[in-house]
Amino acid sequence: MSDVIEKSVSVWALRWRRLAADPAALAGLAVLLILIAVCYAAPLFEAWLDVSATETDLLSRFDPPGGGHWLGSDDAGRDEFTRLLTGGQTSLSIGLLGALGSSLLGTIIGAIAGYARGKTDMVLMRITDGVISLPTLPLLIILAALDLSKLGFSQDFIRSGAAGYWRIVLIVTLLGWTGVARLVRAGTLALAEREFVLAARAQGAGSWWILTVHILPNAVSPVIVATTLAMGRVILAESALSFLGVGIQPPQTSWGSMLTNAQELIGTAPELAIYPGLLILISVIAINFLGDGLQAAFDPRSDAR
Amino acid sequence: MIRFLATRALGAGVTLLVKSFIIFSLIGLMPGDPLDLLIQANPEATPEDVAKLRAIYGVDQPIGERYWSWLTQALHGDFGYSRAQHRPVMEVILPALGNTLILMGLAFVISTIIAVFLGTVAATQKGRLLDRCINLLAYAGISVPSFWLALVLIYLFAVRLGWFPAGGMPQQGEGLHGWAVRLTLPLLALVMVEIGGLTRYARSAMLDVLGQDYIRTSRAKGISTPRLLFRHALRNAMIPIATIIALGFGYLFSGALLIENMFAWRGMGRLILEAIMGNDYNLALVCLLFTTAMILVANILADLAYTWLDPRISLGGRRR
Amino acid sequence: MTHLIEADNLSVRFAVGGGLFRAKREVQAVSDVSLTLNAGETLALVGESGSGKTSFARALLGLSPISSGTVRFEGRDLAAMSAQDRQTMRRSVQAVFQDPFGSLDPRLPISAIIGEPLRIHGIGTARERDARVAELLELVGLPATAKSRYPHQFSGGQRQRIAIARALAPKPRVIVADEPLSALDVSIQSQILNLFVELRERTGIAFFLISHDLAAVHHLADRVAALYLGRVVESAPRDALYSHPAHPYTRALLDSVPRIGMGKRVPGHALGGEIPSPLAPPPGCHFHPRCRFATERCKAEVPTLRPIATDHLTACHHPLLEAA
Ligand SMILES: Nc1ncnc2c1ncn2[C@@H]1O[C@H](COP(=O)(O)OP(=O)(O)OP(=O)(O)O)[C@@H](O)[C@H]1O
Ligand code: SF4
Ligand SMILES: [Mg+2]
Repeated sequence: MSDVIEKSVSVWALRWRRLAADPAALAGLAVLLILIAVCYAAPLFEAWLDVSATETDLLSRFDPPGGGHWLGSDDAGRDEFTRLLTGGQTSLSIGLLGALGSSLLGTIIGAIAGYARGKTDMVLMRITDGVISLPTLPLLIILAALDLSKLGFSQDFIRSGAAGYWRIVLIVTLLGWTGVARLVRAGTLALAEREFVLAARAQGAGSWWILTVHILPNAVSPVIVATTLAMGRVILAESALSFLGVGIQPPQTSWGSMLTNAQELIGTAPELAIYPGLLILISVIAINFLGDGLQAAFDPRSDAR
Repeated sequence: MIRFLATRALGAGVTLLVKSFIIFSLIGLMPGDPLDLLIQANPEATPEDVAKLRAIYGVDQPIGERYWSWLTQALHGDFGYSRAQHRPVMEVILPALGNTLILMGLAFVISTIIAVFLGTVAATQKGRLLDRCINLLAYAGISVPSFWLALVLIYLFAVRLGWFPAGGMPQQGEGLHGWAVRLTLPLLALVMVEIGGLTRYARSAMLDVLGQDYIRTSRAKGISTPRLLFRHALRNAMIPIATIIALGFGYLFSGALLIENMFAWRGMGRLILEAIMGNDYNLALVCLLFTTAMILVANILADLAYTWLDPRISLGGRRR
Repeated sequence: MTHLIEADNLSVRFAVGGGLFRAKREVQAVSDVSLTLNAGETLALVGESGSGKTSFARALLGLSPISSGTVRFEGRDLAAMSAQDRQTMRRSVQAVFQDPFGSLDPRLPISAIIGEPLRIHGIGTARERDARVAELLELVGLPATAKSRYPHQFSGGQRQRIAIARALAPKPRVIVADEPLSALDVSIQSQILNLFVELRERTGIAFFLISHDLAAVHHLADRVAALYLGRVVESAPRDALYSHPAHPYTRALLDSVPRIGMGKRVPGHALGGEIPSPLAPPPGCHFHPRCRFATERCKAEVPTLRPIATDHLTACHHPLLEAA
């Protein structure tokens, strides 16, 4: 255990120093952290401002900003500000989970392909290429609209909010792992030839040891970058699906689902159609800044530049 | 050359077959059952009638056999009917395909030109204010939800300013002007989304090329900068850019799907969405296959562009 | 008497090429090599680049596929061993590689690197392993503070010391060292060489040393075998080989280095020409295209390895007379 802590000091300290010298990446990180903190503080805001993100109040539809309603109220009289925060919890956490899920799946597939080589590698890479050339959005829509009862899930589960949430995480994982799989495969292929891996094999280390102790830790940097950038793409995909009505279902809410009837709102209360999209834009830009900053910080050549 | 095309076409054909089976199976898992809708429409149907209908539509058979019979029909040119529109699928798809190709083709050309230009400028101005601004624009492009961007454009230019219609296809007799007016906003949205990623690739490809020795040498020899940029550097930078463009075709299509939908543009994207949402299985299936086929063709074209741009590569023995 | 390690007619072949339209071809990296190593002994393997030294060493370590033949460890066939016995054997046979920059995982601190074989084999508690690491650092002449530092903080020679400490960790019976000096500065080479000598004196460990540095080999080895295109062409006790090389190839190898100060030898001829491709080795004696003494017989008939003096074997139809 002490090994792990010691090792994390040297390499990661260096990288953190490089990242800290990149204002755009730092700003991205800060914005992202603030967004997450504020979104998860939604209950506090609700209590403090004495408003509700969920209770409809038909007498105060489209209230202008004022009083406890910092951003006014929506078409069902719910407080827009805290609703945006609640929706943000869903959007951001799906982004994170979907990105982690695809990276995990991609890492497993890539490591197997790169380590086993030969036929296994060929088959797995064929599958990867196949998934890459699928029309992503239409497939996401189909997968999001699939009738889960035909797959043997119970009606209770299907109607629960959790089903809608995890379904999105699952399908973005199923379609999103390919990039990481390629990265990890390439890294594994290169690392498996390195002498320190041969040394470990000569010592009698098994495949699991070699993969987890030597190969994956050395291949992790591009995966971290890819995961970060994937989080942005997942947030965008979730918003599109929810906007089209096949993603997050009421009573759950996300930034995308808040835009479901935005097309009607644009005439009556345009700001209700603007806010959620603006938050998506801000968080995805922040994530992309951070991801690119990480990439530069992880690239040993960036010292030379 | 012919051999290269033949191998690639064969490979693409196999891929398409595999994908058609996957998509076919997935569609089978969509909500409802084509027969339910027929049965609901006719409350007097007896169980025997239902069984008969099932036999006719082949819904009773295992997925493999249903796929096989669909496939043999499709290979004979019969793609079946659209349930919702009561017309042969091809009759529905072809006009939509035309509309999509107009929108996507224009967006493709315009965004490539703009992105390559912006990327080149940014690369030569690396680190300066102009580079930063272009970079920020590119970040915005890759980070914006395209349907929301469309919404904002509609709000600004249709609702507030009233310069353009909020959507819809040009009517008969509106002529070229009608097309121009109705295409502007969807094109604008699609181009704005598309140039983000492309500009970033163009910039980094240009930076790579500009860092190479021969460019530095030519510079030292006093060859003028614009000429150097656009005659020598760009040609080399176009190789990675062309790949990204072609491989990004699927991405462009995803963008087009949402944007067509926002502007009620009757293209493939909107058709796919309507078919999926309206349980029009056969239509959805064929639309998706068309899209997949288009992506495959785009990938082959990318390889051809490769050879055209880089004389060092011969077809078949592609450099990796 | 059972040998510590015994290779019997060992062959290593690699399939190369084999694209979609090209047929696969075979490289015979090692052909029917029989060599033995006794406990506490140092055997050196010499030969030009591409002669198959690394492939042979890797086969011993279980890193290259063995195409035919057997490797025995303390008399027991490796291929027939139980998984558990094989792990025991792995503990006893440790490796040091050529490139000290590549053979240490850049992400691990030195303590984890040196302790790795112990952890793989589940030897000792964490505390005992720490103690062993400290002991090993001292043994190879590195400060105790080295344990919490990282490979990039050390010089090439220090890294090679770390690699040696790692190899020594599970108290092996033999260390297989593949060109352990050639990546180091000349001034460092002798330090590492002296470390080997010292280790051998203190621990009685056996070495299987691969090197093309004949001066270093002379310093360390008890016996020497010369490899050419995958075949052993000569094997003899060190002094016999250095003073009376019987094979024209060995002779040329020795002539091509500055005088090491052995016995009386007429000034000879350095090696001319290039080592042929192992994809298409010449027929008969592989060495004939480059041999000054080649005859018609050499082009047709493969010379077998046979004794010409006690413990001195050579594969040549016309061994050099002075060897007798
Ligand atoms: N993994 C492999 N695949 C294909 N061919 C190989 C492989 N490893 C070695 N060879 C070939 O086998 C032959 C012997 O190589 P080997 O590395 O064993 O020689 P060597 O004596 O160690 O040379 P060097 O002094 O350069 O290290 C060479 O021709 C080499 O190209
Ligand atoms: S066998 Fe003939 S060719 Fe080979 S080394 Fe001896 S003399 Fe030379
Ligand atoms: Mg070698």
